[in-house]
Amino acid sequence: MERGRLMLRLAFRNLRRQARRSLLTAAAMVIGGGLLIFSVSLGDGTHEDWIESGVRMGSGHIAIQAPEYAVSRKIEDRLSTQSVAAAREGLRSPDIAESVLQVVPRLTTGGLASSPMGARPVEVVGVDPVAEAGFSTLDERVVEGRYLEPDDRLAAYVGAELAEGLELRIGSRMVLTAQDAEGEISGQLVRVVGIFGTGIPEIDQRIVHIPLQTAGTWLRAEGAVTTVAVLLDRSRAVKRTAHHLEDVLAAPIAAGDLAVLTWQEAMPELDAIVKVDDLGNYMFQGITFGIIALAIVNTILMSVLYRHREFGVLQALGFTPRQTGTLVMAEGVVLTVLSGLLGIGLGLFVTWFFWRDGLDISFTWQEDWTFSGVVLDPVIVPLFRAARVIQGLLFILFVGTLASLYPAYRATRIDVAEAMKFER
Amino acid sequence: MTETRSVTSSAETPTDRAAVRTDEVWKVFLQGPEEVQAVRGVTLVIERGEFVAMAGPSGSGKTTLLNLIGGLTRPTRGHVWVAGHDVAGMSARALAHMRLQQVGFVFQAYNLLPVLTAFENAELPLLMLGVEEGERRKRVHELFERTGLTGLEDRRPGKLSGGQQQRVAIIRAVASRPALVLADEPTANLDSATSASLLEMMEELNRETHTTFVFATHDPQVMERARRLIRLVDGQIDSDDS
Repeated sequence: MERGRLMLRLAFRNLRRQARRSLLTAAAMVIGGGLLIFSVSLGDGTHEDWIESGVRMGSGHIAIQAPEYAVSRKIEDRLSTQSVAAAREGLRSPDIAESVLQVVPRLTTGGLASSPMGARPVEVVGVDPVAEAGFSTLDERVVEGRYLEPDDRLAAYVGAELAEGLELRIGSRMVLTAQDAEGEISGQLVRVVGIFGTGIPEIDQRIVHIPLQTAGTWLRAEGAVTTVAVLLDRSRAVKRTAHHLEDVLAAPIAAGDLAVLTWQEAMPELDAIVKVDDLGNYMFQGITFGIIALAIVNTILMSVLYRHREFGVLQALGFTPRQTGTLVMAEGVVLTVLSGLLGIGLGLFVTWFFWRDGLDISFTWQEDWTFSGVVLDPVIVPLFRAARVIQGLLFILFVGTLASLYPAYRATRIDVAEAMKFER
Repeated sequence: MTETRSVTSSAETPTDRAAVRTDEVWKVFLQGPEEVQAVRGVTLVIERGEFVAMAGPSGSGKTTLLNLIGGLTRPTRGHVWVAGHDVAGMSARALAHMRLQQVGFVFQAYNLLPVLTAFENAELPLLMLGVEEGERRKRVHELFERTGLTGLEDRRPGKLSGGQQQRVAIIRAVASRPALVLADEPTANLDSATSASLLEMMEELNRETHTTFVFATHDPQVMERARRLIRLVDGQIDSDDS
């Protein structure tokens, strides 16, 4: 214990002894640590925004579907009424209920939309207008007309590019044709009440929302749904919620009646993009800290070479080579931890500063950016996560320890008799 | 300078309780392509409580012999025993422990740690030995008082005169009550009055604690006060006068 205190005392005082060199290295670490926390928070905020946009446009953070539906996209692979009831019951479990923001039933099928101007392949989504408005952002993307209302029956809300292709206006009629639950081709006349524009071609060209009840009647699947889409308060709750649902729905899952899909499984492209972006971020951090590590190696190694004789004296007095190395390690780790903590503090301050209004990067954009069903928001709000701070601190500690290893090794290899002759 | 080593046959550990014993000890360095024989087959016994000076011209091997005895360097051939321990066969860790427990060093350049105060420098070996704080403080304060350094405990070495620094170095060497103190030119950087006072202090310690003192020196004052004078020439003992 006292030896440990001695090592720390020596480490602090030796760092203070070379104050300018220590401060310069610490400054690099402070900036690096600040950059680490801010860029990770910014990255997390960006990803959360992408995920939020993606899941709202898609099938939620978690989608409960029949196991075959994800591949077949056919109405015959719909959820039974009992499965829907079991899913809703599971989502009301006290353990996860507070994370669940919205649950929407959807009856989705592929079909054709026809007008006197022609026909287009579409994805018809039967929705509960009120629940859907609290889930999807499509209702906010109205270009003309309005979103569906609870009393609507033969109404349709269509994408701008589909409307343009079929020359649809508000009040225009179109026929939706699809295979119904009994395998028959069935048509449904609907009237356009609203046109939306997301800027995402695959959505604006293909998506048609109609009332759930209308879809059920038309497709002879009243009361049935193909997807129960679940929106959570944050993407971090997905794993825990999905695991909990898999536990409470173990029986219907085992019977092959339903499957619980996370957004990563339902939208693998978005998941891949988030991971690639994360990887890029980590590589950038790796390079930054590689450079900082070299600065630490330089500072500590210079200190070891400068104090060659001193280490010789310590060993003559009875320090083992290992204790000498530990002393050098202590200097590197103390320098790293202190400056790393300051850096993290700086990073948290900058994160907090931009957390209020976000970082607006719209000046770098020519037009809206979209990918994989996601509309990018040019205002990035950094996301604070305590786990990231701990990860950052551990990473900094790892870098400091790694950077101190070589100088420490050099200190252990000192020839004591030679060191005593050593003149600065 | 590169040192050369060769395998030697193991000698039996002496059964006597001499402070230092060397048996045909050699130290050979390679200096470029040339072999330098710094110590050539030195055999000697230093009994406990002796006050010995090793003298000789520069390059005579006295510092190397002192380093061999202190385990700071290993013999190329032969054996060195300190308090019955065969120094040549010890690991670096065991050597460090042996130095910590058995040997105190005093150097020509004092070699105090500049970041520690005089008191912290003096208590360093005690702290490494795990001596509890109260006992540590008591021993160091006593030695400070005895050497006239009371009041200077909190000064860093840079704020002490050469004589004061060497006193602190002597306290550091003897505070842990080692069996052996090795002093390499301890008076070389000091004026004659300061040297005399330091030597007197070491003589007193030698008399009172029976600590063995071995000096490597050029200083006539040290040679005069030593009760045994070993003269080295070209790495060999030229004379050994008690």
